[in-house]
Amino acid sequence: MEQHNRFWRIALLSLPLAVFGLFVVWPLLSSFYYSFTNWNGFDPDYSFVGFDNFAKIATDRLFLQAAINTTIWMVAAIVLPTALGLMLALLLDARVTGARVFKSIFYLPICLSAVIVGQIWTWIYQPDWGLLNTIIAQVTGETFKYAWLAKPDSALWSVIVAWSWQQTGLSMVIYLAGLTAIPGDLLEVCEIEGASPWQRFRRVVLPLLAPSTVVVVALSVINSLKGFDILYIMTGGGPFNSSDTLAMHMYNESFKKYLMGYGSAISVVLFLIALAIIGLYFRQLRKVDRIYG
Amino acid sequence: MADTLPATRFNPWPATIFTILCVLAVLFLLPTVGVLLSSIKTTREISMGELWSLPASLYLGNFAEVLGNPAVHQYFLNTLLVTLPATAVSITLGALAGYVFAKLPFRGSNVLFLGIVAGMFFPPQVILVPLFRLFNGIGLIDTLWPVIIVHSALGLPICVLMMRNFFATVPNALREAAIMEGASEWQVLTRVVLPLSLPALAVLATLQFTWIWNDFLWPLIFTQSDDKRTIMIGIVNLKGQYSVAWGVQGALSLVASLPTLLVFLFFQRFFIKGMTMGAVKG
Repeated sequence: MEQHNRFWRIALLSLPLAVFGLFVVWPLLSSFYYSFTNWNGFDPDYSFVGFDNFAKIATDRLFLQAAINTTIWMVAAIVLPTALGLMLALLLDARVTGARVFKSIFYLPICLSAVIVGQIWTWIYQPDWGLLNTIIAQVTGETFKYAWLAKPDSALWSVIVAWSWQQTGLSMVIYLAGLTAIPGDLLEVCEIEGASPWQRFRRVVLPLLAPSTVVVVALSVINSLKGFDILYIMTGGGPFNSSDTLAMHMYNESFKKYLMGYGSAISVVLFLIALAIIGLYFRQLRKVDRIYG
Repeated sequence: MADTLPATRFNPWPATIFTILCVLAVLFLLPTVGVLLSSIKTTREISMGELWSLPASLYLGNFAEVLGNPAVHQYFLNTLLVTLPATAVSITLGALAGYVFAKLPFRGSNVLFLGIVAGMFFPPQVILVPLFRLFNGIGLIDTLWPVIIVHSALGLPICVLMMRNFFATVPNALREAAIMEGASEWQVLTRVVLPLSLPALAVLATLQFTWIWNDFLWPLIFTQSDDKRTIMIGIVNLKGQYSVAWGVQGALSLVASLPTLLVFLFFQRFFIKGMTMGAVKG
């Protein structure tokens, strides 16, 4: 029997593992290798440069800018979609008519591609006839022609709003799933005992939603590290790198300037950040499991 | 979900809530509606600042332009040629590995399983350069192959996760009975376990189709000539050609999103379930 099992394990696992190993694990490891070279993407010849690429990171002004932007992006991407998603989930959980329709509306943007979302929001920010300027002009009664995506002050935040619009639906459904797990009797008891809606939310619902919050926050962080497509479409990292993120910076260095060795070093840093966050996430998940599971 | 819950939930004011939700829903729909409106308006109307008003007449010229453009046909064909095989392959491989992790566990199989699932969390930029070098080396750059292959591999974490979790719910007694009757593991997998796992397969097919169809990064890196581009890259390329033809751009966006929109509308249940399952269990 044991021999039978071993045969089938090998037979069934070898293909998936080969594909995963060859196209995910091996490239991941090679990234470390290339980060110590000066490969330019085309020449078969390249040489080892030791820690030069990492030393360059420390002095690269654009890397610093990208790291700051990634942090802003990350914090905003945690706060905005999480808060909005939680609010929507609470509203929808209150047995409203048409909850299903509402849910689909809030969820719809998730199935659109970043390219389409970027396009839609580029039009909202369009200076001449974009929705935002049109509304501002209507309200103030004066012509308003601010180029949201072309100004260093507003470019990053404009993209963050678009991104939050797309991501809110995801945190909403995760919170909705978490809410269904809270027994209705519990809230009923609280109400009878005279707890105000705010107290019920603050002292009962929110703590019981902790596992969902961990998931939502972790997903937001991870997705924001991947933040690339929508920036590429809407601002290309500009103007003057004011909306560059690490993912964007890595792409530019590797595939625009063909500094693939340096690009690999950036990707290694990106990997280490992701690794730290995933580690934190799994630890937090276990803690939440212990308390509420 | 929400409409089957007991009456007493957090929040006592149904009418207010309904109103708030309506306002938010309108705000949420506005961006999408803008694209819809643009696609049925002439460029003149839009540049006159009338994009956001209801159209006086239905103008279909934008759609005619998009659907008659041979480049768009090519983009669509390429996207299908990438999406369909990559979806099928990732789910198949996920089922194979998921079966072992659920039904034939071995020492260290849990670590291996978690290792694969962790792949879901990493930014794809981490493997960009080595994959470019690999496919460049074997002369596959500027073909659809690398895109198909990489999507098949990167789909594995979510596919393995879901197949393994679903297979775990299939009673072991079923497998043992079939084995006693002389069935091989392969027959157990294909004739017993997989037919019982149609919901999981539906979830994965919906998710994978949507992600691969919408992807931008991999075709951007691996393809170069216009006749190898997928639709999402195509939209960006055509921006030059239709630079101020906003209506055509809008129509193009709609047409490009149509497959995923249809998948979403028909398989909403599976899609949402997949997103939450993948997220919560991960």
